[in-house]
Amino acid sequence: MSRVAVVGIGHSRFGRRTDVNLGELAFESIKQAVDDAGVDRKDIGNVVVGSAGGWYEESLPAVVVGEYAGLSGAGTMRVEAACASGSAAVKAAYNSIMSGETDVAMAVGVEKMTEVDTPTSVELIGRAGSYTWEFENYGMTFPAYYALYAVAHMKKFGTTQEDLARISVKAHHYGSMNPLAQFQKEITLEKALGSQMVAWPLKLYDACPLSDGSASVVLASEDVAKTLTDTPVWIRGVGYSSDTANLSRREDYVGLRAAVTAASKAYSMAKVSPREIDVATAHDCFTIAELMAYEDLGFCEKGGGARMVREGETELGGRIPVNLDGGLKAKGHPIGATGVSMAVEITKQLRGEAGRHQAPIKHGVGLAHNIGGTGHYAYVTILSRD
Amino acid sequence: MDDLPQLRSRRSLTLRFDIPISKTREFWESLSRGKFVTTKCANCGRVSFPPQSDCPDCMASESEWVDLGPEASLVTFTQVRVTPASFEGKGPYTIAIAEFRDGVRALAWLEGVDPETAEPGMKVRIEARTGEGGNPYYVFVPS
Repeated sequence: MSRVAVVGIGHSRFGRRTDVNLGELAFESIKQAVDDAGVDRKDIGNVVVGSAGGWYEESLPAVVVGEYAGLSGAGTMRVEAACASGSAAVKAAYNSIMSGETDVAMAVGVEKMTEVDTPTSVELIGRAGSYTWEFENYGMTFPAYYALYAVAHMKKFGTTQEDLARISVKAHHYGSMNPLAQFQKEITLEKALGSQMVAWPLKLYDACPLSDGSASVVLASEDVAKTLTDTPVWIRGVGYSSDTANLSRREDYVGLRAAVTAASKAYSMAKVSPREIDVATAHDCFTIAELMAYEDLGFCEKGGGARMVREGETELGGRIPVNLDGGLKAKGHPIGATGVSMAVEITKQLRGEAGRHQAPIKHGVGLAHNIGGTGHYAYVTILSRD
Repeated sequence: MDDLPQLRSRRSLTLRFDIPISKTREFWESLSRGKFVTTKCANCGRVSFPPQSDCPDCMASESEWVDLGPEASLVTFTQVRVTPASFEGKGPYTIAIAEFRDGVRALAWLEGVDPETAEPGMKVRIEARTGEGGNPYYVFVPS
């Protein structure tokens, strides 16, 4: 079977980016990725743009971004898988190469969430589920969706607010080493625990911020990749799954079924086990989401997430370092950009280019866990050096 | 950074949806009478909530209405402190998922219970309410 590699990566600074519009923001990462890959833009047959949209003025982000970056003419589309739109874009770009349609494709993730006021952004994300049955009369918010899981996890496994706060402290610690992160300051456990309650028991420091940002990757077929780079990073496995729109229809509230299925498919396709993962990004839109990810990905048994936190197993030097770029919590979470940002981070780690937050690479395998909504969509992507 | 020049769009857009409920009409009309019903597939017996006239299991389109409420038990809950734009001034409010006797669940506001002292398994009852504009909705209250 032929293979597909990441041959170019680009990443904008994440944060409140009032200095750039959608096209300008996307351009920052597209330019870096194209330069890094050393490809001619006319050879890029497919440009897939991951963006949830709704909070910026453009209705057709793919063509706006394409025009601004001189990519008009290539096949293009916008894909939406909520907060996993970026991974969906990578998957769609990957597919177009695997199918033989093109040798070079690009995934661009871009989001501008701060062009509308904060309550409006909160509303748009709160509607990410079942509008009629769970939003219209009840005003769900994104923190509230995950708080339903946090409460159930705490009641069943004894996970504490302090365990969750430790994940936030870890995120900010690594964020302080990432010059592209939205938050680059360390925080204390006390500060996290004392922060404003957003959706009990989740607090401000349990939650990722609203962010603007873009990330891009250039993918190439095996034959072309070998002509472009000596350090291709191969997409070895992509697993994806979904779950019900209504939270009331979920089997339980202590893990994300879609993530478990996606992980199982990705491990099987890549022929690797969780033990062989050197470094991972987990979708920590909320601290509880990262903790459940450890369990859903098989890094520990169900209910063992809090122990991994307490024992520092997901810190640099631990068994499986997670979110060494600061994660969604500190790096920021421009929804459509996040999945591509994860692919960029894992590629950097596997190339050995992560600088101060470089993980030791033993098996040459990294994993990106990207969730859309509250486990509504799940994508797990496994990358490797060979 | 925020003092950078920006063009504020001249136009604002209000979105208001007319959501079809003809296929779940019985639910809304029963709710107005204080009853909480949902669909049961006439072919395979699957009980669905939210109600749906087409069965997600066997895809049959014949269903009957069955009584769900009012007794349920809490599964999980939260309290929204930071509200979305259209719920400004309504918070804080407590939201719960509770399970009816046949295993079907619903999400709704939970009134009269402090989430910090609530426990899964706590008995609640579903009650009909009338919202702004006369739309019926439902909440959980302690049983």
